[in-house]
Amino acid sequence: MAKLVTLTIDGITVQVPPGTNVVDAAKKAGIDIPVFCYHPKMEPVGMCRMCLVEIGRPVVDRATGELVRADDGSVKIQFSPKLETACTTPVSEGMVVINTSQKVKDGREDILEFLLTSHPLDCPVCDKGGECPLQNLTMEFGSGQSRYIYDEKMHSAKHVPLGDLIYLDRERCIQCARCVRFQDQIVDDPVIGFYNRGRALEIVTYSEPGFDSIFSGNTTDICPVGALTTADFRFGARPWELNAAASICTQCPVGCNLTINVRREAISQGRMAIKRIMPRQNEWVNEIWICDKGRFGYHYVESEERLDQPLVRKDGKLTPVSWDEAINLVSMRFKQAGSNLLTLVSGRLSNEDLYNIRKLTDSLNGKSALYTQMGGGDVVAQVGMSTGSNLANLGKGDVILVIATDLHQEAPIWWLRVKQATERGAQLIVANARSTRLDRYAKYPIRYAYGEQNNLIAALVQLIDPQKFVDAKAIKHLSEQSIIKDTAEALKAAQNLVIFFGNEGSGVADSQVLAQTCAILLATTNHAGKPNNGLIPVWQRANDQGAWDMGWRPPTDLSTSIKEANALYIVACDPAGDDPRLSLTPDFLVVQDLYLTPTAKLADVVLPALPFTEREGSLTSGERRVQRYYPAIPGRTGALADFAIAAQIAKACGITLEERSAAKVMDAIARENADYAAISYTELANVEEQWPIIGRADLYYGGTSYENKQGLGMQLQNAVQKGEPFQISLPELVEQSGEGLLAVPITRLYDRGNTLIPSQLLRTHLVSTVMWINAKEAKQQGVEEHDVVQIECGETSALVTVELEDAVPDGVVLVPRSVGIPISEPCRVRLHITERV
Amino acid sequence: MKTEHVLLRHRDHPEINELENYRKIGGFEVFRKVVTTMQPNEVIEVVKSSGLRGRGGAGFPTGLKWAFVDQKNWPHYVVANADESEPGTFKDREILEGNPFQFLEGVAIASYAVGARAAYVYLRGEFWQIAHQLDRRIQQLYHAGLLGERLFGTDYSLHIFTHLGAGAYICGEETAMLESIEGKLGQPRLRPPFPPSFGLFGKPTVVNNVETLTNVPLIIERGAEWYRSFGTEKSPGVKIFCLSGRVKRPGNYELPLGTPFRKLIYEYGGGILEDHPIKAIMAAGASSSLIVANDPALDTPMDYESVPSLGAQLGSASVIVVDDTVSIDWLINKTVHFFRHESCGKCTPCREGTFWMMHLTDRITAGKASWQDVELLKDVASQMRGKCFCALGEFSIEAVLSGIERFRGDFEARVKG
Amino acid sequence: MMLDDLARGLATTLKMMFEKPVTIQYPEEKRRVRTRFKGRHHLQRYENGLEKCIGCSLCAAACPADAIFVEAAENTDEERYSPGERYARVYEINMLRCIFCGYCQDACPTEAIVLGDNYELSFTDRRQAIYTKEMLLDPVPPGGQPTPQRTPSGVYTRSVPVMKDPSD
Repeated sequence: MAKLVTLTIDGITVQVPPGTNVVDAAKKAGIDIPVFCYHPKMEPVGMCRMCLVEIGRPVVDRATGELVRADDGSVKIQFSPKLETACTTPVSEGMVVINTSQKVKDGREDILEFLLTSHPLDCPVCDKGGECPLQNLTMEFGSGQSRYIYDEKMHSAKHVPLGDLIYLDRERCIQCARCVRFQDQIVDDPVIGFYNRGRALEIVTYSEPGFDSIFSGNTTDICPVGALTTADFRFGARPWELNAAASICTQCPVGCNLTINVRREAISQGRMAIKRIMPRQNEWVNEIWICDKGRFGYHYVESEERLDQPLVRKDGKLTPVSWDEAINLVSMRFKQAGSNLLTLVSGRLSNEDLYNIRKLTDSLNGKSALYTQMGGGDVVAQVGMSTGSNLANLGKGDVILVIATDLHQEAPIWWLRVKQATERGAQLIVANARSTRLDRYAKYPIRYAYGEQNNLIAALVQLIDPQKFVDAKAIKHLSEQSIIKDTAEALKAAQNLVIFFGNEGSGVADSQVLAQTCAILLATTNHAGKPNNGLIPVWQRANDQGAWDMGWRPPTDLSTSIKEANALYIVACDPAGDDPRLSLTPDFLVVQDLYLTPTAKLADVVLPALPFTEREGSLTSGERRVQRYYPAIPGRTGALADFAIAAQIAKACGITLEERSAAKVMDAIARENADYAAISYTELANVEEQWPIIGRADLYYGGTSYENKQGLGMQLQNAVQKGEPFQISLPELVEQSGEGLLAVPITRLYDRGNTLIPSQLLRTHLVSTVMWINAKEAKQQGVEEHDVVQIECGETSALVTVELEDAVPDGVVLVPRSVGIPISEPCRVRLHITERV
Repeated sequence: MKTEHVLLRHRDHPEINELENYRKIGGFEVFRKVVTTMQPNEVIEVVKSSGLRGRGGAGFPTGLKWAFVDQKNWPHYVVANADESEPGTFKDREILEGNPFQFLEGVAIASYAVGARAAYVYLRGEFWQIAHQLDRRIQQLYHAGLLGERLFGTDYSLHIFTHLGAGAYICGEETAMLESIEGKLGQPRLRPPFPPSFGLFGKPTVVNNVETLTNVPLIIERGAEWYRSFGTEKSPGVKIFCLSGRVKRPGNYELPLGTPFRKLIYEYGGGILEDHPIKAIMAAGASSSLIVANDPALDTPMDYESVPSLGAQLGSASVIVVDDTVSIDWLINKTVHFFRHESCGKCTPCREGTFWMMHLTDRITAGKASWQDVELLKDVASQMRGKCFCALGEFSIEAVLSGIERFRGDFEARVKG
Repeated sequence: MMLDDLARGLATTLKMMFEKPVTIQYPEEKRRVRTRFKGRHHLQRYENGLEKCIGCSLCAAACPADAIFVEAAENTDEERYSPGERYARVYEINMLRCIFCGYCQDACPTEAIVLGDNYELSFTDRRQAIYTKEMLLDPVPPGGQPTPQRTPSGVYTRSVPVMKDPSD
């Protein structure tokens, strides 16, 4: 470890690693130096001049190299005649920093006076008021009077929409460049920049549509004034009027920590309403960032369409009934069905829901099935990310392999963390059939044909350990490619290895095999079980990992399982909506969900559930971190939490399950599930001080992300880390075959799932019913851009509009999930043009 | 007084802006000698001994700058600063139009000395015609085998490119110039690191003024001692003084450093128009402190050490002369307008301060201000001092503060009440 | 002696009989309130009818009794309630909480909320204590238009008016 540097700030001695700048060193000493343009997660630029302090350095005799001392033996300190910017000055041994002298205070007053000369008198109408660094610093250091004449103020455009999510007020902008640097340095998406010069320096957007970045909302957190504000929170409320609740995002398996701000609303007769979603700091998961989907995609919980009472089909119509009636009917029919009961759940549910529902099903001898298009959760339990892991630890000497997934669209914050790891020196291998946005950071971008993903990993295993596969015929052509050989070398030499795997180009079975092969790769290279090593699944839903951990498994064939069941209990999924040809005609169908989905419309009983904002629960992220979320608003009357509903049904069936407290359900899980033995709601609420220190009184330092006072979550150990034997068998290698056009479903960030469609704000971003094809293939198939085409897969078909996209491989068309195209895994298709524009 | 010019040699030899004429007077022989017989560090030593200092305004010892180039980081670049935008400066233009080949030879020798194989000439956007001509001349050098690959049978190659700015004075600041060449917003960079360690495209770069580089061929040819025979001990050599303002004969005058103001203004410049009494001297263009033009000042030698005793800087030696027909408040209104227009906007004090000062000086010259506004102007300028990111902001206040302090009467006459 | 004191006392009483009574026969007679009397709140308008209130919630923040509830919304030129970008869509004062301190009046940047002279505020149901914006808003002054108004673009861009020199 490098030797620490000792310096004194305002009389307080502090020791910090060399290379730390004075602002951060002061923060470590508990002293706040005001800043505007500096942000602890970005390189300093020294532009705003707010952090000017007096800096003195020990005098060194040029001839002897010795420190010059005064008569009393103390080291002579030479202060620079000019103030220096603390953010751009790295610490040096024996440095003396003065932060509280009159000279420094005058300097701050001067800079604030300059900033306020053309800053508009907007505080009463500005959304930032109340959490504004400029306001706070002006109160602390500014002069009480303005010497500037109002008529000479420069006026600029106000309320300029940069895209439809972010508004820019050019008059308020203090040209600190934090937003521009965030987009450029942190998310590598420079869609905004400076234009013009001098006093006329202004922010413009270069993309069409404007500010086209999935991380755009973060700039409103770090903007130190009200120049960048979100359209979502515009005039929503004052920050001091808001209550805060800690929550976890449920849109993807990253599990970003959120703070949900709520306030009572007059328009709904005093109901508590969610005003905005802000990031909560968790340096193990999402640091202080969240993507726009998580930030703006919460409106579904407030939709009018939400169910608020149980419904029972009487005379062919779904009629509202009391909970008692519904529960009695359900329990009676479930008991009757017994082993012919099939329960189908999805990863949208919390661990507690999944546990209770599983216990209920098991106690009735029913069958349980996980509704998913991706397998491998049990493999992850063996070789997933283990305790002590943090993607931020990856850097030089480490390797990250990303296969069969488009992280930018499926798990944006993981995309960001992987990118940042490569900037710290980690080597990235990106394997996919098409190029994705992660390629540009990859040392080894690998292309393969859809379906070959497992063979690719097997080829890597074979190159590292030639004894592994007995019959390697299927992978020979892969192991001979030089890039694959280089990749194998890199994997062997890696200090740490993290593998992200997804299900692009595969269904449940194939992705299960892919997971197994990836696990074998981890074991072969001796990385399994160590911290900062492991297999990370890019699930489609937030808590698929929790579902697997709670014992849920996808059925071998969903339609067969459904046909064989007499009673169906479908929770938090919509199979009929996803695939209209699926025949859902059991004797008794119970659907438990938030809305009247197409599946619910077929039900005999509909049970209304609560969304995550109105109840407690815990989720297990793809990195196997268990995190708890707290209720933000009171639950709508009439709906209950999924675990509570299951417990009530159980009670009516004579089975005892915890009904009221999610914490107690977690305790039950801990007793039964060895992996979760150490988890409790108390443990999940533990916090520790994180670096950088964000969200305290000095809002100017890190922005308005919230400090995490409610829980950092707990990372589970994986089986290998616990010392259990590695139990994954070698899969069979299959040569790929098949002719004809292959349609592959892919996940887009702004999909048309039930949790995004109700968002008016994101409406224009949502993917439409399109089919992506490259120009050459289009010509071969005889289709042109904007054609409306019928895409036929087996007995189903759907109408799609053709869009040309270079990155699509030959012989392949890509279709988005969730728009009603009933293709959930790759299949061969035929195209028929129905309409040419 | 010397008879032959060192820099403005086109005034002695006709049409040496044609390559064949320049070669006739020995042009590019020095470069050939340097490449074929001298080591790069030998060249640096000669330039160091000559005492040549940067002629763009900073006055930094050129040889020392060349020696600072980081030998562990490659490749190296040389960038010639032809962004000449300081008001009252027009010397580089005359060199580029009249004696371009000596300048290019200077660039070439400098490149060899620091191991650069590519050099850029950054010209202000308004010099686009000069840039086109320079491109033509560079092509002539390629045809003559004086630029390109494997020069003179050695393995040294050199390419020179011109690059046009787009109308920004701030791009004359060396790090802003590098940003501009890289295609980015023309704003200065944080220093340290300095260009000799981290410059163009992150590589060690030497940025020199046109005039500085034009000195180099004759320094190498005739020796450091010869160069030191002009000027003073600490400011050796010759300088082109750009005389302008209220004088009878404005223009470029190449004189040894240490020539007193009086000689330049009265002997060469012919004195003040209509023989008015002289009032003030701006020695460094708009970035100057105003020098009260009394006898001691006029007798002060124009070199980097003596001028500071008058509370001013020599800078780029763009001597603007002011007489009693000029009211100082009007004068600083002009300079403040200039700096407000040219401020890049990166740092708060300059961006806001120049804008504020402009409003104040506008009101003062319009007669709509009170003495409080003059005090406020002084305050604003003082508030900017020591806080700006680069020299533009720091120097923008010099004329204002020195003007108010040394020519108080002009302001008192202007304010109401 | 004792009679002296008694006489003095009775004399005082007699004197009082002939003095003008200060009793005012309320409600037939009502005394004018003093300047700066803090009575019922009202939201003022500009002369052209636009509301002064810009929905900034500073009054709600200043209120020591948490009596004010404000929800803001966006002005458009087609539907303009106040000058500038922002207006109060919901403005409620709970008169049972209010202590008539006038801090809201002091905090308001546009002189929108002021405490007027009306002190006759009794009601019989708790719910009647919530004064809504309709109840608080001043009537449209003569020559003005009611809100929402349709205004030309680019004219009403400033939320906070130029404040007069407080030393005036």
